[in-house]
Amino acid sequence: MAQLIKVRPTKIELVKLKRRLKLSQRVQKIVKDRLSILTMEFLQAARETVTARKRTITAMSEAYKAVTVASGYHGYVALQKELVACEADITVTAGPRGVAGIKLPSLELNEPSGGLRGYNLTQTSSLVDSASDTSREALRAIIELAELQRGLELLGTEINRTKRITNALEYIVIPSLQATIRFLSMKFEERDREEKARLKRVKVMLARKEG
Amino acid sequence: MHPHLTHEPAETGYDKLLQGWLSGEMRLVNSGLPRERRRLSELLAEQQPAIGCSDGSQQMLKRSELGYLADLLDEEEQQTLLLPILIEMAGDETESVVLCPSDVELKVVSAVLGMKMNYEQPGRVRLYRPQLSLLRRKLKTTTQYAFSSRTVD
Repeated sequence: MAQLIKVRPTKIELVKLKRRLKLSQRVQKIVKDRLSILTMEFLQAARETVTARKRTITAMSEAYKAVTVASGYHGYVALQKELVACEADITVTAGPRGVAGIKLPSLELNEPSGGLRGYNLTQTSSLVDSASDTSREALRAIIELAELQRGLELLGTEINRTKRITNALEYIVIPSLQATIRFLSMKFEERDREEKARLKRVKVMLARKEG
Repeated sequence: MHPHLTHEPAETGYDKLLQGWLSGEMRLVNSGLPRERRRLSELLAEQQPAIGCSDGSQQMLKRSELGYLADLLDEEEQQTLLLPILIEMAGDETESVVLCPSDVELKVVSAVLGMKMNYEQPGRVRLYRPQLSLLRRKLKTTTQYAFSSRTVD
């Protein structure tokens, strides 16, 4: 049973309690809407994370295979000599994206403009091209996975927090307000009935006196 | 007027706390809303496209998403489309409404969902939860949720 709030049994307190109840129900509605959105985003992120994880593992293993084959064909030293020349800094654009009040990370790999690979195309084979392509694909997959996984963690934490608020409202705040309102209403009805009975008795007594 | 003379009872600390909580939640859920919406054509021309949010932060827009939208629209439509596209949450937790000030938003939503959508009311397209999920999966940074007071009442 819901716990009663300690208030003075007056009509003014009853009005206050009714207003509090209305406010609490409004808060509950917003929090529930938010929770449903966060849950939907969480499930979507979880599904995408699973796919991204598989894609990353596949891309990484393909990249390693391609690099191994290329180094086997050209020789490790020769391949390294070619690749040293085309080293480039990776730039990732990072920023927040808001989802129903929380900031999730948003990462995007900045692709270098132009199709130049940086190494000598005449002295290398298509195996190096393949290693380069698969490595780039692996990098893209890692960045996507990082974004999704961090987002998933943040969404999970926020869902927990929002769920606590919803539960507190649903099982404690609103039931106790409703119980107190019911208790006060019954008390006032009882008081009215007593008042009516007293008035009737007074009327009878007055009638007897006059008679 | 003295508080005891009014018909409405004076606010207690608890009422203020609840009111604060309500406005705090409203502010929180709408903190990602844009200060002003920007045209797709403008954003495409920028190196790092971003939109200022109501809480003062910047929301980054992914160039890949902008490119996807640019592929769907011609140049005139790119100048009309305002980003982010706003999704208003309807009160019953299963439906939401995409606010479409122009027909370009409707075209984008139809193309993303792969089905012809129609206005339910002028400037409003109703989406069900699976459709919303699909829209959000494809347009993560270029769409934004909006919780209005209509949702609350």
